[in-house]
Amino acid sequence: MKELLKELCLAFGPSGYEDSVKAIIKARLEKVATSACEIIEDNLGGIYFHIPKNGAPRLMINAHMDEIALMVTGATDNGELRFERVGGIDPLVLSSKRVISENGIRGVISSKPIHLLDKEERSKKPTVDKMQIDIGASSKKEVLDACPIGTYFAFDSDFVKMGKKIKAKALDDRHGCAEMLSAIEALAKNGFKVKYDLFFAFTTREEVSYSGANCATEIIRPDYAVVIESKAVLDLPGVGSDKSVATLGDGALISYADRGAIMNRALTDSLIDTCEKNGIKYQINRAVSGGNDSATIQRGALGTRVALVSAPSRYIHSSSSVVDMDDLMAIRDLIFNFVKE
Amino acid sequence: MEKIKNLLKRLCEIPSVCGREGMGKAMLFDLAGQYFDNMYSDSFGNLVLVKKSSKQNAPRLQIDAHFDEVGMMVCEICDGGFLGVRAIGGLDMRVLCATEVTIYGKEKIYGVVTSVPPHISGGKGDVPKIQDIYIDTGLDKETLEGLVRAGDIVEFKDGMCELLNNRVVSKSLDDKACACAVIDMASRADRDKLEYDLYITISAQEESGKNGAKLIAYDIQPDIAVVTDVNFAVGEEIDETESIAVGEGAGIDISALTDVKLTRSIMKMLDSKGIKYQRVCEPSRTSTNSDGVSVAGKGVRTVLMSIPLKSMHTPSELVCLDDIKSMSDILLEIAYTKKEAL
Repeated sequence: MKELLKELCLAFGPSGYEDSVKAIIKARLEKVATSACEIIEDNLGGIYFHIPKNGAPRLMINAHMDEIALMVTGATDNGELRFERVGGIDPLVLSSKRVISENGIRGVISSKPIHLLDKEERSKKPTVDKMQIDIGASSKKEVLDACPIGTYFAFDSDFVKMGKKIKAKALDDRHGCAEMLSAIEALAKNGFKVKYDLFFAFTTREEVSYSGANCATEIIRPDYAVVIESKAVLDLPGVGSDKSVATLGDGALISYADRGAIMNRALTDSLIDTCEKNGIKYQINRAVSGGNDSATIQRGALGTRVALVSAPSRYIHSSSSVVDMDDLMAIRDLIFNFVKE
Repeated sequence: MEKIKNLLKRLCEIPSVCGREGMGKAMLFDLAGQYFDNMYSDSFGNLVLVKKSSKQNAPRLQIDAHFDEVGMMVCEICDGGFLGVRAIGGLDMRVLCATEVTIYGKEKIYGVVTSVPPHISGGKGDVPKIQDIYIDTGLDKETLEGLVRAGDIVEFKDGMCELLNNRVVSKSLDDKACACAVIDMASRADRDKLEYDLYITISAQEESGKNGAKLIAYDIQPDIAVVTDVNFAVGEEIDETESIAVGEGAGIDISALTDVKLTRSIMKMLDSKGIKYQRVCEPSRTSTNSDGVSVAGKGVRTVLMSIPLKSMHTPSELVCLDDIKSMSDILLEIAYTKKEAL
């Protein structure tokens, strides 16, 4: 699964521009699909894998394909690009980072050097309007010809192994895509024997509006939904247990609630039950923080019973997120064991 | 330009965090050795590369570029595989979060600077202080204790990346861009045309105290010295009164603390040959090694040259290869000009 995760993380897929990620997923799905399976593509760029089972309750498992990104909004007279954020990014992780555009042009985020700042400016969080993307152009015309207004940029960041952990961009939520694909491939070996009328939904635009999940909920109309996500944690030295949220390496992170939704108790308990019965490492969220597609799915269509499984993730929405491979394997095993007959 | 680019890339890969320049000594000697007659280092950590003129008793020309770069030092090994660090040199705390680093322990270890995502911070908070951040290695504490000790060096990891128009970004272009120009110039210098014995000083600890170049100048006692360093590049909210333009050639600085006659003679010589350069004003202190070199021993006639650089002291400093070539060309012209004409 690590190789698949690497391929997915390195793919360019800002919110609203997920096609390269979808292409990787589609190719893998087509390889395992039997005539009984169905591959569905929606109007917002999402792709679903349906393993039908007549009369069984309808379960949707969902992960989003998009990543946070930047978009060109203009240029300076010196030939640098102005930009805004697509999704929630703290300006502190932007300065000096390498980025790459949708058309493969490399750049770097520049700002005024520290030597030319006064004391107050040095300690104040920088703002995006004081940063530029520098692609090496020397005039406004040259830079806008290369990267017109509206061009997407994403972080240009390697996939690095750190012991059992992984550092990469876009782990949120490509890890979810990888676990779902890996579970589907395991189910294929099993002859797709499942307990549910089962949909795996790879959705779009989570980072800006949750609209991809809304679309999937309307099309699939699930009875139950399990959202596979990244949960921002802060398990650093000196951070208390509630503020740290959860701990990398302690297993699949199951939340009873976050800031967007109170999860369905029975569905959540049955996920925990699956972990207990199969010896899958899991942990319960120590905080109520973050939000994701679960709220939209819960309120979508005629209402859905929803649960949330996350990979505890450090430094998400930066070029250098960190997850523990053991947690990802636990989530994969949980998905597989939860749905298999 | 390909030669300059490759030399620059290899120079940037040499570890040389301020105060620990010795870690890169063998690599630098290995890279540049073929161009020089003699190479040595002093007790402070300065490296000297000598190329002699074919003329007997030629005067001495010192050309200085500092070897060191800003970085961090390990001060604590914490639970969970994190390292507490302190800054070496003028580190920009606004660029550290999520930055990738290399820790030089018993072996090279990969690490990432910690940051707080908006999901937890709510977007609030100021720029962290150095004691608020950690290096995440992903390893457990026991493993880490076997590999790293307090005092070990942490360096930015980001290697060279090419942009448009011969621009490149990398860590440590301050001052490897100038070291590249200086070594390139020496590699091309024709001994029969050299009016000086060249003493190239790749000096230590510019980023902390600026003492290295001054000490080695005292030892060499050059007739003339050229100090090379990077300077702020024109950019958004940085106008030409405090900066020079990327891609427009190397700068020649005019300061009360450099030799005015030497500086103007060089400019006149370049003007007469139609060689392009940029004028830079540093009215008093230059905040470069030239402040120290000029007062070494009985005083040294010193000129300061610069390469425009964007995003100074970050892992993604930006320069134009054309400006490095320009500095190399100008240095060669100086080395071919009789002392009496300057």
